Amino acid sequence: MLDFLLRRLAAALLTLALASIVVFLVLEVLPGDPALVMLGTEARPDTLAALHAKLGLDRPLLERYVSWVGGLLSFDLGNSYAYGTPVSKLILDRVVVTLPLGALALSFSACVAIPLGVFAASRRGRMSDWLVMGFGQVGISIPNFWFGILLALFLAVTLKLFPAGGFPGWGTDPLGSLHALILPALSLSLPEIAILSRVTRSSMLDTLREDYVRTARAKGVAERDVLMRHALRNALIPIVTIAGLIAGFLLAGAIIVETVFYLPGVGKLVFDSISNRDLIVIKNVVILLTALVLLVNLLVDMVYVILDPRPKVSV
Amino acid sequence: MSDFTRRQLGGLLGGASALALLGVAPGARAQAPGRAKDGVVVIGMSLEPPVLDPNLNAAAAVREITYQNIYESLTRIDRKGSIIPGLAESWTVSEDGTQFVFKLRAGVKYHDGEPCEAADVKFTLDRLSAPDATAPGKSLYTTIKEVEVVDPTTVRVTLKGPDAFFLYNVGIGDAAIMGRKSAATNGTKPIGTGPFMFKERKEGDSVVLVKAPTYRDPGAIKLNTLIFKFIKDSAAQLNALKAGDVDTFPGFQSPEQVNQIKADPRFAVVVGSTEGETILATNNAKKPMSELKVRQAIAHAINRDDLIAAENGFALPIGSHFPPHNPAYVDLTKTYPFDIAKAKKLLAEAGYPNGFEASLKLPPVGYAQRSGEIIVSQLGKIGIKLAITQLQWPQWLQEVFKDRNYDFTIVAHTEANDLDRYARDGYYWGYDSKAFKDNWAAVVKEVDPAKRTELLKKAQKIIADDAVNGFLYQLGKVGVWNKNLIGMWEDSPTPSIDMTGVHWKL
Repeated sequence: MLDFLLRRLAAALLTLALASIVVFLVLEVLPGDPALVMLGTEARPDTLAALHAKLGLDRPLLERYVSWVGGLLSFDLGNSYAYGTPVSKLILDRVVVTLPLGALALSFSACVAIPLGVFAASRRGRMSDWLVMGFGQVGISIPNFWFGILLALFLAVTLKLFPAGGFPGWGTDPLGSLHALILPALSLSLPEIAILSRVTRSSMLDTLREDYVRTARAKGVAERDVLMRHALRNALIPIVTIAGLIAGFLLAGAIIVETVFYLPGVGKLVFDSISNRDLIVIKNVVILLTALVLLVNLLVDMVYVILDPRPKVSV
Repeated sequence: MSDFTRRQLGGLLGGASALALLGVAPGARAQAPGRAKDGVVVIGMSLEPPVLDPNLNAAAAVREITYQNIYESLTRIDRKGSIIPGLAESWTVSEDGTQFVFKLRAGVKYHDGEPCEAADVKFTLDRLSAPDATAPGKSLYTTIKEVEVVDPTTVRVTLKGPDAFFLYNVGIGDAAIMGRKSAATNGTKPIGTGPFMFKERKEGDSVVLVKAPTYRDPGAIKLNTLIFKFIKDSAAQLNALKAGDVDTFPGFQSPEQVNQIKADPRFAVVVGSTEGETILATNNAKKPMSELKVRQAIAHAINRDDLIAAENGFALPIGSHFPPHNPAYVDLTKTYPFDIAKAKKLLAEAGYPNGFEASLKLPPVGYAQRSGEIIVSQLGKIGIKLAITQLQWPQWLQEVFKDRNYDFTIVAHTEANDLDRYARDGYYWGYDSKAFKDNWAAVVKEVDPAKRTELLKKAQKIIADDAVNGFLYQLGKVGVWNKNLIGMWEDSPTPSIDMTGVHWKL
C-alpha cells in the first residue's frame, strides 16, 4: 500500500515538473507584451525597452525559466507586474476565498447528489427515479454562470436574502463571508450535483446486481442496511473518482462564477492576470492550481485504499 | 425501504439547506441610507487599476481613482475640461511661450506629513521626462528642457520650444506631483496631497480611501470614506446597483441595461460628454486603403445613425477626429454623406468594382463589438467583405497598434488634444500628410487662442477630407448614481472620478 502511494507521489511530481515547462512555454508564445500593456498607446520605443530591462523580460529564455523554478522552490514568487505587490500575497489573499468556495460547492454536491442517486437507484424505473434523472439532465445543461445570475436576481436583488456579490473578508466579517459564498457555491455545484447523482445511481445499480447483495437480502438483512452498508460502500469508488475530477472542474468553474459574483478569488485572479498579461502571476497561479489538482488526486488514491483495503495487484 | 431512504434524503437535504441559510441575519447588509449618514460612498468601476501611480502606468482606471482624490497636479482640469489652478495657485508665461514660472500654494502637505515643495515638482517633472524615464506619458513632457527650483514655493520650467498644450499636460493625472520621499512606493501605497488618502487595497476587489486630515481645506470635504469596487460583468453591475451594494457607476459600460436602471426611482442616469472619438481606424499604409477614393467610398457607405442607435443613442455623430463639446469644433459630418451609389461609384473608379476582402480586428470592448457587426453589414453593401477577428487588449496593442498588422479596427481615442496623432510618423494609421504636419506644427507654437482655434479647425478639415479613418461617433459618458449623491461629474474631460465636492443629500 505504501509502495502504491509512493509511486503515485513520484508520478505527481513528474507531472508537476512537465507542467512547469508547458506553462512557461505557452506563456512565451502567448501574444501580447506586459510592458506594452503597462505603458499603453503612448509608449515610446525607448521607454518600452527600459521597462523590458527593468522587468527582466530581455533575458534569455532558459535563464528566465531557471530563475522562475528557483524562485518557486524557495517560495519567492516575485512581484506582480500589474499590482506591484508580491505574487505570494496575491495568491494567499485569493486562496482563502476560492478554497472555501470549492469546498462548500463540493460538499453541497456530495450532500445532495449521493442521497439523490441512492434514492433514485432504490426506486429504479419509478416516477421519482425519472424525476431525479430528469433534474440531472437539466442540471448538466444549465451553464452555471447563467444559473448564478438567476440566483442573484431572485435571492439577492428581489428577496434580499443574500448579497448580490462581493466578499467582506474572513477577518472583518466571518459570518458575512460565509454568507457571501453560499450563492456562488450553489451555482457552482448545480452541474456537479447533476453529474454526481447520475454516477451514484448507476454505480449503485451495478452493485445492487452483485451476488453479495442478493446474499445479504437472502439472509434477511434490512433493506436500508443492504443499501447503506453493502451496496453504497462498494459503489463509492467510482463516485469518489468523479468527485476528485469535479474538484478540478470546480476550480475552472470558479473563473466564471467569481466574475458573476465579483468575488476576489483565484479564478478572477487568473482571468485578470491573463487580460493584463501579468505573466508572472499567471504562471505561478497555474502551477499552484496544477499542484492542487494533483494533490486532490493523491487524496483520492488514498481514499481508494481506505474504501477498498484489498491489496492492489497492479497500479 | 423507501420509507427510510426518504427520511435519510430529507435529513441530508435539510442539513444542506440549514447550512445554506447560515448567516442569513436580518439587517446585516449595509444599505445606501446608512452609508449616507456615515459619509461613505461605494463607487463601482468596470476595470481595476494596476499600480496606483499614474506617473508610471497608462491605465485610465489609475487616474480615475487617484487623480484629484489622492494626487494633485500643478494645474487642474475641472469638470468642464478647463484649466484652473491646482497645486500652483498662479503662473506666468514668458512672451515667447517657452518659460513658465509656477507659484505653489503655501502650506500644502502630503498625507505622510511631508511638505509639498518646489523640489517635489522638479522631482516629478524629471521623473516624467528624464532620458531613462519609463513614464507612459513621456512624449507629452519631452518638450521640457529644464526645471529649476527658485525657492520652496516657486518653480521655473523652461521648454525646448513653445507648447500650446503644456499647461493642460501638467494638469492631468499623468503629471500628478509626487513626494520625493514617498514616490518609490506610491504604486502600492500612494501618498499625495489630495483630499482623500489611501487606506487599503484588496486586489481584485476594492480600493478604500478616507478623508485626509492633512488636507489644506478640511471643511470642504464632505465625505469620509470612498470605496472603489471593481465589478466587470455587466449583469453583476446591475445586480450590485439594484441590491444597493453600490451607489454609483460613474462610467456605466452597458447601454443596453440603462433602461432597467432608469426604471428604478433610486437612481439618476446622466449622459455627458467624453473625449472618446470612436473611429473605424484604417491602415492607410496598406493597399487598397492607401487610395483616397477607397477611403472616401467607405466614408460614404457608413451610416452613423445605425451605429449610434446600437449605443442606445448615447453618442454624437462626428465627421472628424474632434469632440463636439470643444469650442474649436466644426461639424464635418456632411463631408461624405451616407450614399451607397456614390460609394460604389468611387470604389469602381479606384479599380475595385466588386469590392475587396479585408480584416476587421476588434478589441474586447462593448462599443467595438456592437459597431463592428454593423460596419461589416454596411461595408458589405458596397462589396467590401470584412472578416472579424476578436482580440484581447494585449494582443490588440501588439498586433494592431505596435506591429500595424491590420486593415481595419474600431477603437475610441479617449485622450484629450489627440489630433497630434495624425502628425506622427509611424503611428498605426500610417497616415502621412505634409499639409497636416505643417498645420499641426503651427498649432503647437500658437499661443494666441483665437488663432489657434482657426488652425485647429483647419486640422479637422484636412483629415476629414482625406477620410483618414471612418469617423463614427463621440462616445457618451453614461453616469449612474444614487439620486441623493450630489456633485458627481457629468462629463469626462479627463479620466477622473473627482469626489472632492461630492456629498450626500441627507
